[in-house]
Amino acid sequence: MIQSQTHLNVADNSGARELMCIRIIGTSNRRYAHIGDVIVAVIKEAAPNSPLERSEVIRAVIVRTCKELKRDNGMIIRYDDNAAVVIDQEGNPKGTRIL
Amino acid sequence: MIAPYLARQATTFPSPAQMYYRCNLPQPLAYSPLSLGSTVSNVAIPMLAALRSRFFLSTSPSSSFIHRSWKLGFSGSSHTFFSSNVESSSSNKGLLDINEVENVLKDVRADDVKVIPVGKHCDWADYMVVATGRSTWHVKNIAQALIYKAKEKQRGAQRMMLPSLEGQEGGKWIVIDSGKVIIHALDEKARAYYNLEDLWTSGMPPKEPVQDLEKAFVKIRPKNNSKRRAERHA
Repeated sequence: MIQSQTHLNVADNSGARELMCIRIIGTSNRRYAHIGDVIVAVIKEAAPNSPLERSEVIRAVIVRTCKELKRDNGMIIRYDDNAAVVIDQEGNPKGTRIL
Repeated sequence: MIAPYLARQATTFPSPAQMYYRCNLPQPLAYSPLSLGSTVSNVAIPMLAALRSRFFLSTSPSSSFIHRSWKLGFSGSSHTFFSSNVESSSSNKGLLDINEVENVLKDVRADDVKVIPVGKHCDWADYMVVATGRSTWHVKNIAQALIYKAKEKQRGAQRMMLPSLEGQEGGKWIVIDSGKVIIHALDEKARAYYNLEDLWTSGMPPKEPVQDLEKAFVKIRPKNNSKRRAERHA
């Protein structure tokens, strides 16, 4: 249940460390985003000497949420933090390794 | 050690009583997961039931058929019998084999095809195939050719199961997942950037989030920070 102003960790080696969600891509007026949704985010904290800088607006896909994901076979998946992976306009990841 | 015993039985037709007697004998010899730590009688009864069902099913048994069915019964696993059934039904015709993939990639003239066997450190795939396309159109074409090959394999079937595709819109990196074989079609810049061979040849990616899954299944009692006392469960 990621909404705007949510801080997320970054789960790849693209250079960003923390993101803040601004908007959820998809239908207009959507309240919450879950695992697999694309969000627009601003970089709040970045690693030094990386191609991404602080306060840069990028897109990201959510990979971990504290809110549980329910599957049709009854399986429930819940993580301990919220995390996202930085992607570009086409959907390809900006980093090379997923952590 | 069991084979000559079975060969001797295949020639004659024993009565059910004789079968029960013979069923009891090779118990300590035959490996069966059921027999670990259980008495002979416990194992003999389901095995006898399995034997009896197979005996009655075979109306005019040839010796080879008896041989096969008894061998299945004696190995103690009606459960290997079921698992082989499941495998044959779930082996999908639409999934591509590694040789077929190589042929298709040769036809499409993909550059620099590399096959990486990852069966040891990866349980959801056996082979990773990485191929390069000369342009985005070429990369899309590689993906289309593989899907076309899968469609051709299932020509005339009622339901078609196609390998799943990711990344078809932008032509930079397309992944085709067909069961045990996963094909990555990239263009040259993407291939140099993502460096998939290093990722899959140097062992598994270090941090698998399996630990998170184990933690996630633990039931945690919520902390009661409010002043109100928590209600007792019935």
